[in-house]
Parts: sequence; structure tokens; C-alpha cells
Amino acid sequence: MDDRELVERAVQSRDVAAFNLLARQNQSKVRGLLLRLTRGNHALADDLAQETFLEAWRGIANFRGESSFSTWLYRIAYSRFLMQARKRKADEPLDDWDGTTPSSEGQAQARIDLDRAMKKLAPAESAALTLCFALGLSNTEAADTMQIPLGTLKSHVLRGREKLKVILGDQS
Amino acid sequence: MNDTELDALLATPLPERDAGEFSVLLMERIAQHEARPARILAWITSGVMLVVIAAACVFGASAIGHVELGDDSTHLLVPAALLGLTLILSYTVLQSVRE
Repeated sequence: MDDRELVERAVQSRDVAAFNLLARQNQSKVRGLLLRLTRGNHALADDLAQETFLEAWRGIANFRGESSFSTWLYRIAYSRFLMQARKRKADEPLDDWDGTTPSSEGQAQARIDLDRAMKKLAPAESAALTLCFALGLSNTEAADTMQIPLGTLKSHVLRGREKLKVILGDQS
Repeated sequence: MNDTELDALLATPLPERDAGEFSVLLMERIAQHEARPARILAWITSGVMLVVIAAACVFGASAIGHVELGDDSTHLLVPAALLGLTLILSYTVLQSVRE
């Protein structure tokens, strides 16, 4: 059953089981995005992901299907992250990330290096790159998700890429 | 690192995460969220019930002080009605809490 059918069921009959399936299908990407944004803080990323899905459940009737369900979730997740970042005091840095994830054992060193390098980017740059590359959104969809103009998104992508090239170049 | 290598690296899918525990926790939170109206109703009903019980006590006290119960059957109507209302409200609270 695809996302659209499950969304219909969740909206029309407040079907928790249908929403559970939607959550299971999308949780990995939402958590991955938030993990990048929180610079590897697993607890915070999962907490924000829970809030994201809870907000999605509360507001699922407002989902008009103009974008894919996953894109809609990314938008909620990103706005949740921004709200949390505003609340967080400047002197309260996020935990240092060693670049590993629970499922990263045996994965390529390149990915670990990338995760470490991503940590050094601004959140908007990291979000733009993750949305456009790892999650496969178009520039327009990513700009819509981050609620920024298309030109700004492209700037974030360009700047992020340039920074990554320098950081990864230094590492190798 | 050249552009092509960087693009390939960036396009690597994010690691798959197990849905198990996350999903269970999410369902618990949704259940709590869904139960909220019932909990609010339970609190409101409890409040009304307390008022009804207090009214019954006041009525009972005044009846004992001024009227001999049993003399006039109409005097029993009010406490009986209050008792009935209390039972109905108790039942509503129980149902709300169960939901």
C-alpha cells in the first residue's frame, strides 16, 4: 500500500494503524535528516522525529497532497529543528559526533568522513545537501521544505559543497 | 576530491534505521494524545460530581436541621435525584478513564 492510500485512510477514518505504517515507511529518512541537522545527537534527533510524527498525526487532515507525504514530513521536521535550535542557548553546544551511527558498522570510511565533515557545515547547508542529495528532492522541493527561496537554497548547496570539498580534501 | 566523487558520496542513501522501538514509542504518544479529550472530560465530570456531592451534603444537613425526614415524601426527591446524578457522573468518569 503506498503513502497516498495510507494517508487517505488515516485522514478519513483517523486510522492509527495506517498512520503507523506511514511512520514505519518514513521514519528512517526523517530520523536520518534530523541526525544530520543535530550533528549526530541521536537522542535529540529521535525526540524531534517523534514530535514530527506526532505533529503530522495531529495535522494530517491539512495535508493536501500537493507534495509527497515524505516531503511534507521533512518540512515539519526541519521546522521542528529550527524551533528547537532557537530555544537552545548559544552556550549549549550539541554533543560532539564521532561520525558513527548505530547502523554504520562496516560501512565505508567515506561515509564516516562525510558525516564528520557535515558536522562542520551550517545547519541550513547540511539540510540543503541532505535533502537534495541523500533524500533525492528536487531543488524546488527542497526550497519548499526549508521554506526559503530557490536562489537561497542553491547558495546553501554551493557553499556547502565547496566547504565539504575543502574539509574532505584536508582529511584525505 | 572532485565534483563527481563528492556528488556520489553525497547521494549515498542515509543509513536505514530500525523502526521497532521508535514506532512503539510513537504509538504510545499518539494514544496519549488521543486520550487527552477523555481525560479532560473525566476531570470536568469529577469536578461536577464534587459539586453535586457537596450540594447533597448541604441539603442533607439542612434537612436534618429543619425537617423530619419521612414526614413529607417530596423531601426525599431532592437527595434521591442528587444521588442518581452522582451515580451517573461516576459512571461517566469511569467510562472516560477506560477510554
